[in-house]
Amino acid sequence: MILSSAQLRHPPRTDVRTPRILRYVDWVLVASTLGLVVGGAVILYSATRTSPDPWTFVRIRALHAIAGAFLLVFFAVIDYGVLARAWRPLLAGTVLLLAAVDVLGRTAQGAQRWIPLGPFSFQPSEIAKLLLIITLAKHIDGHREITSWRQILPLLAHAGIPILLIVQQPDLGTSMVLMAIFVAMLFAGGAPMRVIAGLGAAAAAAAPVVWQMLHEYQRKRLIVFLDPGVDPQGAGYALIQSKIAVGSGQLFGKGLLHGTQNLLHFIPEQHTDFIFTVVGEELGFAGAILMLVLFGLWLWRAGAVAVQAKDRLGMLMAVGVLTMIGFHVFVNVGMTVGLMPVTGIPLPFISHGGSALVIMLAATGLLINIGMRRKKILF
Amino acid sequence: MDYEPPSRRLRILSIIIAALIGVLVVRLWQVQVLQGAWYLQQSEENRDCDYTIPAPRGIVYDRKGRPLVSNRPSFTVAVLPLELRRQDEVLANLSAILDLPVEEIQSRIAANRDRPFAPVRVRRDVGPRIVTMIEENRLDLPGVIILAEPVRHYLYGPLGAHVLGYVSEIDEAGLAARPEQKYKPGDLIGKAGIERAYEPILRGIDGRLRMEVDAVGRPLREISRVPAIPGRSIVLSLDLDLQRAAAEGLRASGQKSGAVVAMDPRTGGILAMESMPSYDPNLFATGISPAGWQRLTTDRLRPMLNRSISAAFEPGSVFKIVTASAALEEGIVSRTSTFYAPGYFRLGSWTFRDLKAWGTVNFMQGIQFSINVVFYNLGYRLGGERLAAQAKRMGLGALTGIELSGEVAGTIPSPSTKQDLVGEPWYPGDSVNMSIGQGAVTVTPVQVARMMASVANGGTLLKPHLLLGIIERDRSKTSVPPVVQREGIYRAQTLAVLREGLQAAAERGTGRASAVKGLSIAGKTGSAENPRGKPHAWFAGYAPTDAPRLVVVAFVEHGFRGGLSAAPIVGRVFMAAFPPSPQTAPPETSP
Repeated sequence: MILSSAQLRHPPRTDVRTPRILRYVDWVLVASTLGLVVGGAVILYSATRTSPDPWTFVRIRALHAIAGAFLLVFFAVIDYGVLARAWRPLLAGTVLLLAAVDVLGRTAQGAQRWIPLGPFSFQPSEIAKLLLIITLAKHIDGHREITSWRQILPLLAHAGIPILLIVQQPDLGTSMVLMAIFVAMLFAGGAPMRVIAGLGAAAAAAAPVVWQMLHEYQRKRLIVFLDPGVDPQGAGYALIQSKIAVGSGQLFGKGLLHGTQNLLHFIPEQHTDFIFTVVGEELGFAGAILMLVLFGLWLWRAGAVAVQAKDRLGMLMAVGVLTMIGFHVFVNVGMTVGLMPVTGIPLPFISHGGSALVIMLAATGLLINIGMRRKKILF
Repeated sequence: MDYEPPSRRLRILSIIIAALIGVLVVRLWQVQVLQGAWYLQQSEENRDCDYTIPAPRGIVYDRKGRPLVSNRPSFTVAVLPLELRRQDEVLANLSAILDLPVEEIQSRIAANRDRPFAPVRVRRDVGPRIVTMIEENRLDLPGVIILAEPVRHYLYGPLGAHVLGYVSEIDEAGLAARPEQKYKPGDLIGKAGIERAYEPILRGIDGRLRMEVDAVGRPLREISRVPAIPGRSIVLSLDLDLQRAAAEGLRASGQKSGAVVAMDPRTGGILAMESMPSYDPNLFATGISPAGWQRLTTDRLRPMLNRSISAAFEPGSVFKIVTASAALEEGIVSRTSTFYAPGYFRLGSWTFRDLKAWGTVNFMQGIQFSINVVFYNLGYRLGGERLAAQAKRMGLGALTGIELSGEVAGTIPSPSTKQDLVGEPWYPGDSVNMSIGQGAVTVTPVQVARMMASVANGGTLLKPHLLLGIIERDRSKTSVPPVVQREGIYRAQTLAVLREGLQAAAERGTGRASAVKGLSIAGKTGSAENPRGKPHAWFAGYAPTDAPRLVVVAFVEHGFRGGLSAAPIVGRVFMAAFPPSPQTAPPETSP
C-alpha cells in the first residue's frame, strides 16, 4: 500500500481511522444480534410478567445487555492476536475459576454453578466457554498439524480438565457444549479424522463414569427423554408440557402475552432453559422460524468470518464461537420439542441469565473483531 | 503469511450446522403445524379444571316440620391425581397434616384410577386448623385441594337412626348397579333407612364449575357455572316427641335391646320407630374409620340392626289376639263362654302349664288376665291350619311393605308347611303351643303394630309407611295416601269382643303399667319364652279406645314380662302423644 506524504508526516489519528474500520464491521451480524437481544427481552417480559414486579427481569436483562455491550466493544477492538498471546494465564484462570466453584459455589438444583461476587454472582462455566475458545485456538494454532501424541495429549488436557470440572458440578449441558467446541476446533484445525474418531470412542467409554457423577434428577431427565411416559408428573413433566406449549402455538401462535401454558406456569424454568416454549406458544411456527432466521443469519455471518479470517487463529476462534452458538440453539430448541434430552443449556441472547448473555455478546465482539481484521492491510 | 483456510472442513461444519437448524424447522413444522391442533386441545384441558358443585341432599322433616336430617357446610380435603407432582413427597406431607396413613391415601387414589381428572376425596369434614395448614403449605402440596361441601347432619344422632339411615360413599357394586343415574366414585348415596329408600328424591343434581387453573391448581378465573339443584325435601310421618319418648322408654327399661313402633291406625303412618341399641349416623356422613366400622359390625348386640322390621321374635301372648279372633270368627267362643282353668292343660301325655290355677273363668277374663289354659283350649279346637290362616289374615308372617329395606317376614308355622320345612308332622300339641304364640311363631314389631292397627281401625290392614309428603322444588307438597292392604278382616261381633277384652287387659289386667291418666287404653302383653334367655317382653296397645288414633308396640328383648318392661314404654309414648290437658291437671294450690 502506498501512503501519501501527508499521511506519513501526520500518522492518522484513531478517530479518523475509526470510520474505515467500521466499514469492515459485519453489520448483518450486529443487526441479527441486536434483533435477538431485543426480541429476547420481549419474550422474557412475556415469560416473567406474572412475577410480583413484571419488569424485574427485563430491568436485569437491560443491565446485563449494557454490560455485555461494553464487553462486546472490548472484544471487538482489542487485537485478538494480542489477547490470545495470554492464553496460558487465561487457561490457568479458567481452571482456577471452575475449581473455585466447588469451594465458593452457590447451589441451584443440587448443582454448584455460581460464584458470588459482591451483589452479583456469575457462572464460571459460561466464562469458561469463551476462554476455552480463545485459549484452544491459540494452542491449536501453535501446531502445524495434530498427529502425534505429544501434540494431542496436551490439547486433551487443555480441554478435558475444564470439561471434567464442569461435569462434576454437575452441569451436563455446558460440558457437552465444550466438547462440541473442542471437537469442531480440532476438526477445523486439521486434526486427522482418526484422532477425532478416537476422541469420540473415548467419550463413549467415559459415559458410564459420567452417568455415575450425575444427580438423580439428571439421570431421570435422560431416561424420560427416551420415554416421557415413565414419569409424566415428575421428570417427564417439563418435556410433555413444553411440547404442549410449543405445539399449541400452531402456525401463528396464541399472540404475544396470550400463551396459556406460559401464563399459568405449566412449564418450569420457562424464563431460562424453556424460554423457547414462550416463542413457540405465543408466536407460533411463524415466530419460531423468524427466531431461527435471526440465528441463521448470525451463524451464516459467523461462518463467513471463519472462512474470511486473515489467519488460522482467527479462523479457529470463529469456528469455536460458531459451534458454541449453533450447538446451544440446536440443543435448547430441540429439547423443547422432544428432539434432545433436557440438559439445561440456555437459548443464546434470549434466556434469562446474565453470565450467558454477557459471554454471548463478548463472543459476538470477538467475531466482529476477527471479521474487521480480515483485510490485513488495515493494520 | 502462508495461511490458507481449510475450506473443505469449514464447508462440512457449515453444512452440519445448517442441517441441524433444518432438523429443528422440520420438527417445529411437525409439532406446531401438523400436530398443533392436538397440542392446542391438550393445553385447553390443561388450563380448565372442572369442579363439581355438590348438590345438598333434601332435608328430612318430622310430621310437625322439625328437621331431623339436614346439611351443614364442611371442608373436604381432596387430591387431583394428575396434578400430583412429586407424589411421594406430597402424600407424605398430607399424611402428616391429616394424621392418615399414606397407604390409605394411595388406595383411595388407586380406587379412582379411571377418572384421573376428578378430585379424590381424602378426608371429609376437616376442621379449620387443617384447612389453614393446607392453605399455608399450598406450595408444598401441589394437587391437594380443599372442597367446600355440605355434610349430612343427623340432628339427633342415634335417635331414630334405623329409620333415617345413613349415607356413605358409593361402592363399586352400587356404581355398577346404577349406570344411568350418573353416580361417580366418591358420591354419597343413602345406604340404609329413609336415606336409601328415598335416595332418588333426596339426591340433588350436582352442578359444575369450570375454572381456569394454573400449574399448581390454583383457580384463577371462573369460566362457566351450572348451579347445583338441591335434592327435594321430605316430610316423614315420624313425630319427634314420640320418637324421643320411645327411646327414653327403651332406655328406662334397663335392658340392652328392644324396639318400639308407633303407628297411626287410620293411615298406617309410622309416628315412631326406635330400635335399641342404636348408632350415630353422623359417623358415616364424614367417612367412618375402619376401626369404627369394625366396632359397629362386630358388636354382639348388632346396633345397626333395625329390630322393628329386620328381626323376628316369638310373639308370646300377643299372639292370643290372633287365637281369640280366630275363635270368635269361627264362632267357637263368645264373650260369655266359660272355661275351667286349673293351671294346666293336658293333652295325652303332655302337660301345658299356666301361671296359676284360675278356676272357672269366662272368655273376657281369659283375655284380661292372659290365661293360657283358655287359649290352649281354643287353639286345640281350632287346629294349626285355622290359627295360621287367621295370623296371615292379620298380616303376621308376611312383609308389611314398609319403605325401609331389610324387612323380614317372620314365620307362621302351619300343619301344611311344617312337614315341608322340618320334615315332621304337625302334632295337636303344636296347635296348643301356637295358641299362646310359642313354638316356631316369630313376628316383627312392625307386623304386630299393623295387626293391632287393624283391630283399632275396624278391620283394615294398612301398609305402614314413613313418608308423609314430598316438598317439591316449587315448594308445593305432594302427600302420600294410605295404602289399604286388606279390608274387613273381622266381623263386627268379633271386633267388639276383642276390643272389650283388650281394654280390660290394659286397664285392669296384665297391661296396667301402660296406663296414662285420663286416657282409655286397650292392649295386650306378651312374655315370649325363647331358647336364648329370659322371655321377651311385649306390649301392643292402642288409644283412645273410643276413636283410636295411635297404636304403640313395645318389644324388649329378654325383658322378662311384658307387663313389667314393655307396658311402661308404651305408656310413655301415649303420654307424649296425649299429654294430660291443663283442664284435667290438678289445680295449683295457692299459698
